[in-house]
Amino acid sequence: MNAAHHLPVLAIVLPLVFAYLMPLFDRWRRGWCTPAALGVLAVSFVASLAMAWQVMTGGPYYYQMGNWPPPWGIELNIDYLAVFTAITMTGVSLVVLVYASKDLLHELKPHLLGWYYTLYLLLVASMVGMALTNDIFNLFVFVEICAIAACGIISIKSNKECLEASFKYLILSTLGSGCLLLAIALLYMVTGHLNFTYIAQALPEAMRLYPYNILAALALLLVGMGVKAALFPLHVWLPDAHSSAPSPSSAVLSGLVIKIYAVSLLRVLYQVFPADIFEVTPVLNILLWMSTLAIIAGSMFAIVQEDIKKMLAYSSVAQIGYVFMGFAIVDFFALTGGILHVFNHAMMKAMLFMAAGAFIYSTGVRHLSGLKGIGHTMPVPAVAFAIGALAMVGIPLTNGFISKWYLVLGALHDGQPFFAAVILLSSLLNGIYYLPIIVNAFFSEPQGRVAAPLPLPRQMQVPLIILGLGCLLFGIAPSLILGLIYRASEALLGL
Amino acid sequence: MSITDVLLRLHQNNFYFFAILLFIIGFHTMLTHNNLIKKVIGMNIMDTAIFLFFVAIGYIHGGRAPILEPGAAHLYVNPLPSALILTGIVVAVSITAYALSLIVKIYQHYGTIDAEEIMRLRGGETL
Amino acid sequence: METAISFLPVWIVMFPMFMTLVIYYVEQRSEKMRNALSVGTSVVTFLSVLMLYPYMMAGEIIEYSMFQLLPNLEISFRVDILSFSLALLSSFIWMLVSIYSIDYMCHEHGCNRYYPVLIITLASCMGIFMAGDLFTLFVFFELMSLISYVLVVHEESLEALRAGYKYLIMTIIGGLALFFGIIITFELGGSVSLGGETLITVPSTLAFFAFISFLIGFGMKAGMFPLHVWLPDAHPVAPSPASALLSGIMLKTGAYGLLRVIFHVFSPGLLQEAGWMIILAVVAIITILLGSAVAITQDDIKRRLAYSSVGQMGYILLGMSIFTERALIGDIFHIFSHAFMKSTLFLAAGAIILKTGKRSIRELGGIGRLMPFTMLAFTMAALSMIGIPPLSGFLSKWTLSLGAMDAGLPYYVLVLLVSSLLNGLYYLPIIITAFFGAEPGHEHEQVKISEAPYKMLIPIAILAVSCLLFGLLPTNLPFDLSRKAADFLLRGGF
Repeated sequence: MNAAHHLPVLAIVLPLVFAYLMPLFDRWRRGWCTPAALGVLAVSFVASLAMAWQVMTGGPYYYQMGNWPPPWGIELNIDYLAVFTAITMTGVSLVVLVYASKDLLHELKPHLLGWYYTLYLLLVASMVGMALTNDIFNLFVFVEICAIAACGIISIKSNKECLEASFKYLILSTLGSGCLLLAIALLYMVTGHLNFTYIAQALPEAMRLYPYNILAALALLLVGMGVKAALFPLHVWLPDAHSSAPSPSSAVLSGLVIKIYAVSLLRVLYQVFPADIFEVTPVLNILLWMSTLAIIAGSMFAIVQEDIKKMLAYSSVAQIGYVFMGFAIVDFFALTGGILHVFNHAMMKAMLFMAAGAFIYSTGVRHLSGLKGIGHTMPVPAVAFAIGALAMVGIPLTNGFISKWYLVLGALHDGQPFFAAVILLSSLLNGIYYLPIIVNAFFSEPQGRVAAPLPLPRQMQVPLIILGLGCLLFGIAPSLILGLIYRASEALLGL
Repeated sequence: MSITDVLLRLHQNNFYFFAILLFIIGFHTMLTHNNLIKKVIGMNIMDTAIFLFFVAIGYIHGGRAPILEPGAAHLYVNPLPSALILTGIVVAVSITAYALSLIVKIYQHYGTIDAEEIMRLRGGETL
Repeated sequence: METAISFLPVWIVMFPMFMTLVIYYVEQRSEKMRNALSVGTSVVTFLSVLMLYPYMMAGEIIEYSMFQLLPNLEISFRVDILSFSLALLSSFIWMLVSIYSIDYMCHEHGCNRYYPVLIITLASCMGIFMAGDLFTLFVFFELMSLISYVLVVHEESLEALRAGYKYLIMTIIGGLALFFGIIITFELGGSVSLGGETLITVPSTLAFFAFISFLIGFGMKAGMFPLHVWLPDAHPVAPSPASALLSGIMLKTGAYGLLRVIFHVFSPGLLQEAGWMIILAVVAIITILLGSAVAITQDDIKRRLAYSSVGQMGYILLGMSIFTERALIGDIFHIFSHAFMKSTLFLAAGAIILKTGKRSIRELGGIGRLMPFTMLAFTMAALSMIGIPPLSGFLSKWTLSLGAMDAGLPYYVLVLLVSSLLNGLYYLPIIITAFFGAEPGHEHEQVKISEAPYKMLIPIAILAVSCLLFGLLPTNLPFDLSRKAADFLLRGGF
């Protein structure tokens, strides 16, 4: 067995191991922390890309942890969706980490940097784990690691807002984990398996014998993942948590962490539960209407915000609604749009949060009306913000347009033009709250602290440029990623 | 189904029944109490309820711990849920520790561990 | 067809786009160079469009597909006679406006922002007219709409920003409506190409949604009632050369889009059968009457011109809803003549505002004696607007009316007459005040008002003479092009 076969485990274990080495590095050679963390994530990213290549050329495969065959051993499922998610998670988190290396010096006490990297690597490892795993209890463990690490990178700032926000997040997140674990218990009870494939095989029979157990499990799963993914009425923790956290944390939390739960839910719903369960229960309909509410309400809330990061956080509530809407309309195009939006929104929102973080870093201004004229004094983050905002509105030739195109096409194709109209309405709302910021940034004279910002370090500019170009690149040449997503949706829909 | 039947079923499934009861108690405590410590206690009750539920799945009446002795054939309980719950307990303990340390920090900053009081201090924003 | 020629549309769109970058780079160093490059770019663009003339007259259609974004969704160009007519018109007026801008803008701030934006809007405008499919059209439409925001808020005054905000929100609404229309077309027709078959052939609820979406999207741009609300605010606050382009050309992109939708996405037969054209006709009539009537009440000269644009766009929308050949000829010819008239008016008004600093019509007494040439051009264009016989406005209205009579719709002619009367009511007072009004006294003794500089006068003069010429000569290029384009569209447009 050659080394290339062990890539999946490398992508997870390497960050996991280095997470625990970071405090040591911190004690020993503080200067090594950043390169080590970046290196590890780069290796993970490359491993994910290599897996994508393997999967695209040789088809999906399974990896048995420790050579224990299922149903006893833990299995990793390297399929299209998994590698797509792994690429998104490692790629964006790598870019954000470059930014974090400078921004954190400003936001955190210096001795916490090593610990921050610990939490950050743990977070990435758990997300990649969630993306790849084929074992439902393993999924739970990664969910828990992710939850603690996510709370950790909020509360590490240790000011009033962060502590309160991360406690709120922790409590609700535990609630979600509790529901998830109970769902797993119920599934295990009726099927006797923890492996996705085996549960899926046993469920149709179990469905006949114990329908209520399975329905309860489905409901608990929906609530559990819904809380964690901040699906509308369960989003209450998100705005505080994402707005008070250090900016790089906000970028990964909003860009990646809420998505990974959505993707996990997608995987469980489509791959584990038999398709006919959705005909007897309105689960997908509930999901559809919740996402509709999320899209409208999230945008509405965002309009009235005055704090830039809070506005971005509410915008995430709306955008996660797009993702769920794509998953809930059972249509090839909509599903493609939903999965694509995971990727696109990860780039856009990470970029927007980092741009907002750059404004705060250089000027200390968080208030939207205080950012007048920022485009003249801080062109790079302001242009990045503008690109992100236009992508959010869905202007053609940005990546946001492509995901919107697929979502609307899916809604129309499925004969539900109402939801297409919802997406368009929300684009308008996005325009209402994003565009005035750009206008103020570029068509007003800078005043006060905005007029003389601190110079922005290069490490904070480069990620913005990369993601900004990425947003344009995937708007002009979406086929770079669409090949993978097409196959992922085909596999999920069993086409 | 008569009332006796219901009671009999409940008796047969008493682990599950009490697990769900505990789960609801924990859930309720966690969401409705303002005291942060009580929230954490509620969280633990909820977690414990799930552990009970999970372990009960693997329990077989009269079964023994699955320590295989050569030659002896016994009725064993399913070890897998117990093993899983061991992981679950570890997770729960670490989350509890983390939550408690957060509460300490929150107390240092706000001087209170009452959620509503904290909300008030933060300026009228309600959950 | 030679490959060089099929590449020409790409060149026409990409060259100004590339030059935008060059100008952006150069302007940091030399203002003279910037001005020269801007004018040079627009001249080269105009000449490039002109190079297509022989091919177009031979009835050829030039197609070029650039790259594919998604399956069946590509950036492609396609030039037929209608595209060519409008591209020629736009690049011509753009050229004159960029010459005019040199002297006008030297008194303004932020020129370094103005010129690149001027040129990139030219590029996107060419993109709209030469688009080979709805998606390309949409991309350039959005690009132009969003970038012309910069022209609208150029002054950065509170008034401009407020008007700009309204404009921006309307643009987003219009863009989303277009998006919806295009995606429904894609869903129903499987493609959005303008060069293939008619895309929607069966009237259905979804098709109706698409039609309404297109109407909202393009109608918003064309200042169609009730989506015209941004127009009278946005056009006057822009610098005058930009107003001339906004009113003279960019409004027409909406009309152009609607023409494409009516003849390529749907078909006249389908629309008539389904009775959806009534909607367009009704809003067009309201637009005509409302725009003309409200213009009377305006005192700000540029606001009056902007409302007049609303009314005039109504003619064009009305012309589209009648499917007779003469109506269509008049319709397309009115796009030409309104572009000439309205840019003359805005440029002349700009010259007056630049020299006097006054925008209120009441204060313009006697200006015709101080700036005779400018005011003469203004008068000529205004009379053409009213539809006085030898001028181009008369010809377009006459042809439109004949078309309406052909279709047996004499009410439309009545509407045109009433609106001409209203046009007279708001244009004639300006002329009378300017030539025969008393000068408002002592202020003028201190500041001597002279004629506008020649770099501004020449473009105004060229445009004004065009108004006269294209009405006077029985066969002229715009009329010929309109005839050919109308014929082409009615033959099926493929």
